[in-house]
Amino acid sequence: MRSRSLFGFDISLMLSTLVLMVIGVLFIYSSGVTSSGVALSNEYLKQIIWVALGLAIMVAFVLTNYYRIGEFSIYIYLAFLCLLVFTLFFGKVVNGARSWIPIFAFGFQPSEFAKVATILYLAHYFEGIRPGTNDIQRFSVAFFIVLVPMILILLQPDMGTALVFIPIFLIMSYIAGIKSRYVAFSFLAGALLIFLSVLPAWEEYIAGTESIVVDILSSPSYSSYILGMLGVIIGLSSIGYYMWRRKYFYWLIYSFAIVLGSYGGSFVFRALLKDYQIKRLIVFLKPGIDPQGAGWNVIQSVTAVGSGGLLGKGWLNGTQSHYRYLPQQSTDFIFSIIAEEWGFIGSVFIFVLFMVIIFRGLVIVMSARDDYASYVAGGVVGMIAFHIFINIGMAMGIMPITGIPLFFLSYGGSSLWTALIGIGLLLSIHIRRYRY
Amino acid sequence: MLMIIIAAVFSTYAVYLFSLQIIKGLEYQDRARLVSQRIVPVPSQRGEIYDRNADVPLVINIDSYAIDVIPAEVPREKIDTLKTELAKILKMPLDEIQQRLSFDKYHLYQSVEIAHKVPDDIIFYIAEHLDEYPGVTWHKKPIRSYLETGSIAHVIGYVNDITTEELQVLYNKGYKPGDVIGKRGVEKKYDMVLRGKDGARYRTVDVRGRGIESGAQSTIEPELGMDVVLTIDRNVQRLAEQALGDRIGSVVVLKPDTGEILALVSYPWYDPNLFYQDRQGLEFARLSLDPSYPFLNRAIQSSYPPASTFKLIMTTALIDEKALDPEMIVECNGFHWLGDRKFDCWLENGHGEVNLFSALAQSCNIYFQTVGLEYLGIDIISDYMHQFGLGEKTGVDLAGEVTGIAPSPIWKEKAKNQNWVGGDTYNTAIGQGFTVVTPIQLANVVAMIVNDGVAYYPHILKEIRDPVSGEIVDSIEPRVLRTSTIQKSTFNDLKALMRGVITDGTAKVVITTDAVEVAGKTGTGEVGLEEHWDSWFAAYGPYDAPAEKAIVVVVLVEAVNEWEWWAPKAANVIFQGLFAGQDYEEAVDTLNLWYLRNQR
Repeated sequence: MRSRSLFGFDISLMLSTLVLMVIGVLFIYSSGVTSSGVALSNEYLKQIIWVALGLAIMVAFVLTNYYRIGEFSIYIYLAFLCLLVFTLFFGKVVNGARSWIPIFAFGFQPSEFAKVATILYLAHYFEGIRPGTNDIQRFSVAFFIVLVPMILILLQPDMGTALVFIPIFLIMSYIAGIKSRYVAFSFLAGALLIFLSVLPAWEEYIAGTESIVVDILSSPSYSSYILGMLGVIIGLSSIGYYMWRRKYFYWLIYSFAIVLGSYGGSFVFRALLKDYQIKRLIVFLKPGIDPQGAGWNVIQSVTAVGSGGLLGKGWLNGTQSHYRYLPQQSTDFIFSIIAEEWGFIGSVFIFVLFMVIIFRGLVIVMSARDDYASYVAGGVVGMIAFHIFINIGMAMGIMPITGIPLFFLSYGGSSLWTALIGIGLLLSIHIRRYRY
Repeated sequence: MLMIIIAAVFSTYAVYLFSLQIIKGLEYQDRARLVSQRIVPVPSQRGEIYDRNADVPLVINIDSYAIDVIPAEVPREKIDTLKTELAKILKMPLDEIQQRLSFDKYHLYQSVEIAHKVPDDIIFYIAEHLDEYPGVTWHKKPIRSYLETGSIAHVIGYVNDITTEELQVLYNKGYKPGDVIGKRGVEKKYDMVLRGKDGARYRTVDVRGRGIESGAQSTIEPELGMDVVLTIDRNVQRLAEQALGDRIGSVVVLKPDTGEILALVSYPWYDPNLFYQDRQGLEFARLSLDPSYPFLNRAIQSSYPPASTFKLIMTTALIDEKALDPEMIVECNGFHWLGDRKFDCWLENGHGEVNLFSALAQSCNIYFQTVGLEYLGIDIISDYMHQFGLGEKTGVDLAGEVTGIAPSPIWKEKAKNQNWVGGDTYNTAIGQGFTVVTPIQLANVVAMIVNDGVAYYPHILKEIRDPVSGEIVDSIEPRVLRTSTIQKSTFNDLKALMRGVITDGTAKVVITTDAVEVAGKTGTGEVGLEEHWDSWFAAYGPYDAPAEKAIVVVVLVEAVNEWEWWAPKAANVIFQGLFAGQDYEEAVDTLNLWYLRNQR
C-alpha cells in the first residue's frame, strides 16, 4: 500500500510549490543586493534553511495520517490560543505588532501557525456534528472557534493575519454544507463591518468632505440610539415572525442583524486598531494622501511593477528595488521585485504556479476520502488563495496594505512553514484518498 | 463554483497587470527613472561689483559652506542628540535648529539646510567625526564679502536668504527656497543680472540619496552672474563721505550731462558684512531700531524742505516769465506783514534795498516772498516746480525712491482739504511750507540748469560685464528724463546769479576752493521740529564750462544748530578734491581749513 500512496503523490502541486520556493529564494537574494552587486543581507541563506526544514516538516505531515491529527486538534488549537495570549504579553514588537516570540536568534510567529491549528480544529468540529441539524447553533459555534484566535491576533494588532481567518471560515462553512444564507450573512456582515470602520478615515483622507451621515454613523454619542433602534426593529420583527411565521419577517431580522452586527462591530474595530492601520487599509485608493508614509509603499510598488514591462529589467537589475525605494522587498513586496525584474511574462508564470496549487487543492477537496479531509483541504486552499490575492493585489495597488506575506515567495520561516504544513496536509489527504 | 471565482480573480489580476506593465509600462518606466533621479543644484557664482574705474572689485564672493541634514538618515532615537550636538558646534540656539528640523520633516530624504556661512574648521571637524553626526552633509554656498564698506553700503546694499514673502512674489522668476537674494541697493535692483542661473547635476540615487555610480549622470553648467560696473567713483565716494563726516545727511555728486552718479553718500550707514556673521539677526534688529535709521538712504528715501535752494526755481520763473525787471528794487526791513501774519527775513535787520541779483546772492526772503506773490503767483511757481521735476521721482535705479511734494492749490485741497492762502505762497517762495525734495531731486534740478533745460535719469549702473572675459555686455546710455520749455538765456542768467552767490553772497566765506569756479545756492530750512534744521548746498562747477565738464554736488545735513552751515563747508572740500584730484586729507590741507584741522 505504501508504494501506491507514493505513486499517488500529487506531482504538479509539489512541483509548483518547489518552483515557487526556488523563485522565492532567487528574489530574496535579489532584494538583498545593492545595484552595485554587494549583498547586503543573508536573508536568502536563511530562507534556504527554512525551505529545507519546511520541506522536512511537510514530509512529516504527508506521512502522518491527517485523521490522527484531527483527533488531537483540540489540543493543538488550545495550545496555540495559549501561545497567542503569551505573545500578547511577552511577544516582540515587529512592524508595530506584538506578534513574535523570539527563540534563540530567530523569531516565531504563532499567529501564522494558529491559522492551520484553527483549520484543523474547525474541521474536526464540523465533522463531529451532522450536517442539517440546527444550522444556527453549528454556525455560531464555528464562528466562535474562529473568532477567539482572530481577536487575539487583532489585539497584537495584526489586522492582516486576523483577516485571513474570515475566508477560512467562510470556505469551510460552505464546504461543510452550512446554509448559504448564513455564509452570505457573515460575508455581508464582514464587508459592511470593514466599510463602516474605515468610513471616517475615508472621509477624512480620501473624500476630503464632511458629511453629516458619516459623522452620525461614526459618533459614539449616537451609537446607543442607533443600536437601540436596530434592536427594536429586530425585536419587533422577531415577534412578528413568531406570531405570523411570515417569511419577510425572517429576512427583516436577517438584514437588520447584519447592520446591527457590523455597526456595533465597527466601534470595536476602530477601538482595537490603531489609526495608522485604518489609514493603511484605505490608502491604496489614493496613495497621494500620504506619499511619504503609508502611500509610499503603494506608489513605489506600483511604479516597480509597472516599470517591469513585458520582459522585465532582468534578475538583479530592478532599479526600484535595488535603489531601495521598495520597502519590505523580501517580505510583503516580493511580488513587486519579481514583476519589475521578470516583467509581465514572469508575473503570469507566477500566477500559473499559484493557480496550479489552488486548483489542485480544490480537486483534492472534492476527491477527499472523508468530510474531515475536505474541510481541512478547503480551509488550507482558502488560506493560500486569500494570501495570494491580497498580497499580489497589494503589490499592484488594488488591495489594501495589510502586511500579509506571499506564501512560498516571501522571506520568513513562520509563513513558509505554515504554507508547507498546508501543502503537507493537502498531499497527505491526496495520498490517502483511496484508503479506507 | 470556487474554481470559477478563483479563475476570475486570477484573470482580473492578469488583465490589470497587463494594463500596468504593458499598456502603461513606459509611463511607469519614466516614473521609475524620475524617482531615482536627484537634481543637485550647482550653485552659480554671483557677479562681482566694481566702481567706474573697474579695477578693484567692491564686492566679491568667498567660498563658504552650508550644513545640511538629511532627516530620514538620522535614526529617530538619535535625532534629539544630533540637534543638541549641532547647536553646540554651530553655536546656534537649539530652538532654531528645532524649527529648521521640525518633526514634519523627519521622513524626508531631501536635505534640509541647518546653517550657512559655517567656517571651514567646523566642517573639517564634522567630516572627521561623521559617525557622531548621522545624516549630516554640507555643500558649498559662497558668501558675499563687501570689500568697500562705509557709505557705499547704501548704494550696493546687501544679500541674504530669500524670505517666504519674497518667494511668493518671485517664484515664477526662478527663485527657489534657500536662494540668496539682494535685499537693498544695487544687489536688489540688479539681482537678476548678478545672480546668474544655478546649474544642475542629475544623478541617480538610491532611496537614501546615495549616488549610484552606474546610474546616468548629466550636468547643466551654471550660468555665472554678470559683473556690474557702477557709475560710482570710489575715490569721490570716499571724499564726499569724509567731507560729510559723522553728520546725519547726504551727498549727491553727479555728472549733469549723463546722469551718472559719482557718489551717493548717506550717513549713518551700516556694515553689510555684519549680516553674515549674524545668524540670528541681532545686528539687523539693532540697526532697525536705531533712531538715526541707518538703513535709510537719505539721498533718495528722505525728503526735506528745500529752503533757500528753492530760490533757484523762483529766479528761473522770474527771469523766464519776464515777470519783472531784474533791477527792480524791493526794500527788506527784516520782516513784512501779510494781513496779520508777520514774516521774518533770516537777517534780522534786513538786507535793505535788494534787486534779483543781490536777493539771490544774499538769499533775501522778503524779496522772493513779495515778488512771488505779486509777480508770479502760486500757479506759475507750481508750474516751474514741475518743470524741474519736483514732486516726481527722478527714476534713479535704486529701490525705494520717494517723490517729495510740489504743492499747489489743487494739491492742498486734496491733501489737506484747505484753500490755498497768500501765506502759503510766501512759504513756498522761500522753500518752506509744504514743499519737500530729496537730495537726488535737487541734484537733478542743478543738473538741469547746467544742461540748459535737459534732465537725465540719474543712474548707478554703468556697465554689465561678462564675468569671464570681462567683455562689456551692456553699457548704459544716458536717457533724457525731461526737457523743459524754459529758454536757454534764462539758464545763462541763472548760472551767473548762482556764481554771484559764491562770489558776493551767502557762500562767499565758505567756498574757498581755487580748484574750480563754483556756482550754487545755500539753504537753511526749518524742519518743523524744534532744534532741527536742514542745511543745503546745491552747486556745480566749473560755472561757465560746457556741461560735459561740469559736476553737480548737492549736500544736505540734518543740522542740530542754525549756524554751523556744514553743507557748503563739505561741498567746498568735495569741489577741491574733485577738481584738484586730491583725496580728503590733501583737500583739507590745501584749503587750510582750521575747523577741520581741529577735528583731526
